[in-house]
Amino acid sequence: MTLYKRYVSPVSPAVYPHLTLLLLSIGVFFTAWFFVYEVTGTKYTRNLKKELTISFVAALFTGFGLLFLLLWVGIYV
Amino acid sequence: MILLHLFLVAITISTSFTIEVNPKIFINNAECLVDLSTQLVKGECRLSLENNDDKPVNSVLYAFEPSIKSHISYISAHQVFESNRLSLNVKPVTLSGHEDKQFYQIDFNVSRPLRSKGRAPLVVEYVLINALYPHPEEITQKDRQLMMFYGNAYLYSPYKSLKSSVKFQTGTRRVEDYTNINPVSFLSSGDVVYGPFGSLEPFAYSQISLHYDNNTPFLKATKLTRSIELSHWGNVAVTDVIDLVHHGAKLKGSFSRYDYQRETNSGISSVKSFKMYLPASATSVYYRDVIGNISTSNQRTLLDSVELDIRPRFPLFGGWKTHYTIGYNVPAYEYLYNNGEDYFLKMRLIDHLYDNMIIEDVTVRIILPEGSVDLDLKTTHPIVRLPDGLHYTYLDTIGRPIIKLQMSNVVESHISDFELKYKFPKAFMFHEPLIVIVAIYILFLTVIIWVRLDFSIAKDGQSETRQRISGITSAIIHHFERRASIYSSWDEALNKLKHSKDIGTYNTASKQIQTDYKNESTSINELANKLKTESTELSDKLNEVQKAEKNLKELFGQTQSLYTDKLITGKVGRNQFVELDSGLKRKKDECQEKINQLLKSLN
Repeated sequence: MTLYKRYVSPVSPAVYPHLTLLLLSIGVFFTAWFFVYEVTGTKYTRNLKKELTISFVAALFTGFGLLFLLLWVGIYV
Repeated sequence: MILLHLFLVAITISTSFTIEVNPKIFINNAECLVDLSTQLVKGECRLSLENNDDKPVNSVLYAFEPSIKSHISYISAHQVFESNRLSLNVKPVTLSGHEDKQFYQIDFNVSRPLRSKGRAPLVVEYVLINALYPHPEEITQKDRQLMMFYGNAYLYSPYKSLKSSVKFQTGTRRVEDYTNINPVSFLSSGDVVYGPFGSLEPFAYSQISLHYDNNTPFLKATKLTRSIELSHWGNVAVTDVIDLVHHGAKLKGSFSRYDYQRETNSGISSVKSFKMYLPASATSVYYRDVIGNISTSNQRTLLDSVELDIRPRFPLFGGWKTHYTIGYNVPAYEYLYNNGEDYFLKMRLIDHLYDNMIIEDVTVRIILPEGSVDLDLKTTHPIVRLPDGLHYTYLDTIGRPIIKLQMSNVVESHISDFELKYKFPKAFMFHEPLIVIVAIYILFLTVIIWVRLDFSIAKDGQSETRQRISGITSAIIHHFERRASIYSSWDEALNKLKHSKDIGTYNTASKQIQTDYKNESTSINELANKLKTESTELSDKLNEVQKAEKNLKELFGQTQSLYTDKLITGKVGRNQFVELDSGLKRKKDECQEKINQLLKSLN
């Protein structure tokens, strides 16, 4: 028992709102870029590597942003 | 002597297996106090035990009458030595020949047994539930509530007692009736004292009844479902679902809200509101039922707890029921400890619902984070553990392990901590964000595939060509832009050369610029060939651009030679150099402008 220390969350619950807003805004930016890129290009202009990269970055930021949004509103997953 | 000692030890060991009443122990003095002023019967007996045997005794027995057996909810025993409280171990036992009674074996501390010819003080505390009966069973709204208690005038014990008395505290001066047994005294505070009695045989019993006013809340939680949901993101969510019933005298006739509001002693036995105490760190508390939020409640934060003043939608009269949910969050660091991947959760199994509470059936569900293994639970009170299950909620795939526990007939004294050890791999924390990321990425991949599918019925050759051409031209423009940036870096390198006159650095920079330029040029040439097959008009325009571009390259070449051959070696005068340099610069700018104009027309 003496070996045990108080458990602290890897991310402080106090910064959940800030993280949510920051990560989600970055995520939304990349998502918007991705969709704009998709609808403005034709099949001769699209670059698959670029599409995959933008969408991956968008997914990464939106994913973490949504997770912290859930935590912020009280859905402790 | 040693042999005799061993013999004695052997006897004690052999007798400890078959439990029986030791006739050589007797109670020197006993004072019992039975509190009947609430819905619970709370007893406290102070016994002075004497051992007349010629060997020490390690444990004694405490007995309950057959009529009380089914009402016992909680029992504890302690001794007081030099104002230090020493809790003793109590366990239920059965004695052959006395199956109708309930016995508890109280074990003395190993270092302090009841010595031969010695005396020891002992305090036994117990709580009985459902031992008070409303009499009359039904009352109207304006009536007071009267309770009947059936008990024993004597101390009930498996041992002989020399002196004893039992005091019943009613908490009211309105005692309708009590059984008369000599000696009995009725105190002005409303207490009824039987005794002091002289020598009494074991299991002395004389039934008494007490009929008195008791308008304290008679609330019983028939069912409590408590969920403790732990999240490693730093939160413990506690939810209590409670079925509450007023189990006092039932309401006879109709309920008048008018009388209830107007007269202070109307519905005196009903329960308008009650208080619940939550942990001091409780936040986002909610109180709701099937309809929704119940707004008639107050929350106050005290120093060591959060006080919740719960007011149900309607006052509870005898026989009326209500059902509600209380939930709150507490930070995990208050209850959770860890050592690497070993975790240790220590918190209350059940908590305070209302003062003097009775809970008939308790189900506790401890929900751990997904991926927890090797669960090891420890509780202070005996508990039925149901088979573990899995719980599925947001972002769960394999399910969260859930421990289900059951208890019955629980009172406040049962409130205690449980200790739960488990293992949780740290990497599992990324499980949840990963699910979200993968889900969103799949959505994007679907879009990527969707835009590549062609759903048109007829092929439109013309627009197809147009798209192809615009694809090529935009690629060409992209490469031209890249080339423009190469020119600007060339410009920069030349500028640097002009000031530092360091030919070595310029040469290395120039080498890089030339290879980049070559790469872009080959890409442009490839695309230009493609464009030739598609559209001659655009191809001609492109040729014009290429020509202008060649011109620009030449100008850059001239500038370079002006710098490296003339400026560095000092073959040119200052004024002449400035003239030449600015002339070349003007020409370069004009050329670049022309290229931009031509590129614009390409679109």
